[in-house]
Amino acid sequence: MALSGRQQKLFWNAVQILLILAFTLVMLVPIAWIALAAFKQHVDVYQLKVFFTPTFENFRTVFEEPYSLGDKLRNSTVVATVTVLITIPVATLAAYAFSRFDMRGRTLLLVLILATQFVPAVVIVLPFFVMFRDLGILDTLRGLVLVNTAIVMPFAIWMIKGFIDGIPIDTEEAALVDGSSRLQVIGNIVLPMAAPGLVTAAIFCFIIAWNEFLFALILTNRDAVTLPVGLALFKAEEGDLWNLLAAAGIIIMVPMFVLALIIRKHFVQGMTMGAVR
Amino acid sequence: MRDRHLKYLLVAPAVLVVFATAVWPLIESLRYSLHAGRLSRPDFPQAFIGLENYTWAFLEEPAFWNSVWVTLWFTVVTVALTTAFALAFALLLAPGGRFRVGIQSLLILPFAMSPALIGVSFRFMFNPEFGLFDAFFGALLPGLADISWLADPTLAFWVVVMADVWGWIPFLTLVLIGGLASIPQETLEAGRVDGASGARIFLDITLPQLKPVLAVVIILKAIFSLKTFDLVYMLTNGGPGDATQTLSHYVYFNGFKYSNIGYSAAVAWLMVIPMVFLTYAYTRLVFAREESH
Repeated sequence: MALSGRQQKLFWNAVQILLILAFTLVMLVPIAWIALAAFKQHVDVYQLKVFFTPTFENFRTVFEEPYSLGDKLRNSTVVATVTVLITIPVATLAAYAFSRFDMRGRTLLLVLILATQFVPAVVIVLPFFVMFRDLGILDTLRGLVLVNTAIVMPFAIWMIKGFIDGIPIDTEEAALVDGSSRLQVIGNIVLPMAAPGLVTAAIFCFIIAWNEFLFALILTNRDAVTLPVGLALFKAEEGDLWNLLAAAGIIIMVPMFVLALIIRKHFVQGMTMGAVR
Repeated sequence: MRDRHLKYLLVAPAVLVVFATAVWPLIESLRYSLHAGRLSRPDFPQAFIGLENYTWAFLEEPAFWNSVWVTLWFTVVTVALTTAFALAFALLLAPGGRFRVGIQSLLILPFAMSPALIGVSFRFMFNPEFGLFDAFFGALLPGLADISWLADPTLAFWVVVMADVWGWIPFLTLVLIGGLASIPQETLEAGRVDGASGARIFLDITLPQLKPVLAVVIILKAIFSLKTFDLVYMLTNGGPGDATQTLSHYVYFNGFKYSNIGYSAAVAWLMVIPMVFLTYAYTRLVFAREESH
């Protein structure tokens, strides 16, 4: 029996929705499974149970000795926050100048700034390691803030420039004619209008610094260890402590999920600027 | 102050940071690569040895060639699979509506996960005794039940591929949805009026107009695949043996496990070369798109 045009349409729509659901399931199940494991008791992790008596024990254990995840949480928070506080003002000034002024070699400079994002991190980390060793700042938060600022700066310049490009220039010109200085214009007119963009860029930089792994792995070993590197703590002689790993994983992921959802409209735009080194 | 001076003052700090932290390390690494560079000795870097580190990699080190092939094969496979799945997913989600837009925002979640954490999750999922994926594949094909996935060189490689593709599909999908949205509806409408089939419309109208975005996506993914480190480190640590040792991991291993910075800097520099071409292609494409807007 041949289907009518309407039936055919309905049928295809149903097939599409099923495919979408299957795809989404594959994307979300690994996250959900980790989330479940975080609330499982040690014995339950080693079985494929979906129903079990949930416990918050894992979240308590990870903050206790010898794991002291609290220290790593503090390190990650400090590094990501200070990185953002340094990066955003510096990047904003540069982005404004790139957006509003003609400069010789402007395009080339912007391309080169973008290109630095794609230099493999392993090339960069070797001299940093040697320099940090000589300066005695291996395993310090200062050192990590320095490298993270370096990592997010190009991306922040590009992203903020994009936002400032979108702000009409008329009000600025009017204010300049009325005798405002350029810095007043930036402070009183541009910053308020660019504020949503600056918040988006700040959140992006925070996520990148928070998830940064390779530099933290190589440049820290005890005092300045961050959360992603701290995951390695849960390898024990008898194998990985999965329930604790899962709890630590939740502590790393959930704040980033919240931040990512806040900026989801700008996520793609930001990422194509090479947000990940 | 006059704008003429101010503009350089505004740009200077940021440009200084970027170049001091990208260009200086590049030059410094190049210098290391031409020296014997044993980090364990205080007189680092030691004697100038010309291109010896490079010839050593090419001529004396099968492990180097192994990581070259692992990285290239990994890049080809992950670029192809991620792009194909992302394109399919984007086509399914592009029409919009509340349901599809809701799913689109869910897609951000896997992407906010750090690759290191994705590595840990997949190690968990493929555990032979209690891993969820292990149980799933075991149920589909009984031959695959309770396999030590990460102990087998071939399977371990494919597990890393799967984890990487899983982690990148959401982002590529979102970019492609953006690309599909920018295709003028009238061109698709014209195809439908002419009675073209769905497949014809996709091949003759959608795909050609999507090409620039696809090119951006493919190059960007290739760059990230070539650099893969976090995921490999957490998932397999390059093993078993060196079956999943990517170039980044090889550089890390030689530099910080064997503390042979000179040699690892040479290999790192060999990685920079393909990156220069890809980055050049990428910036050309991005700027061409910006100018046409």
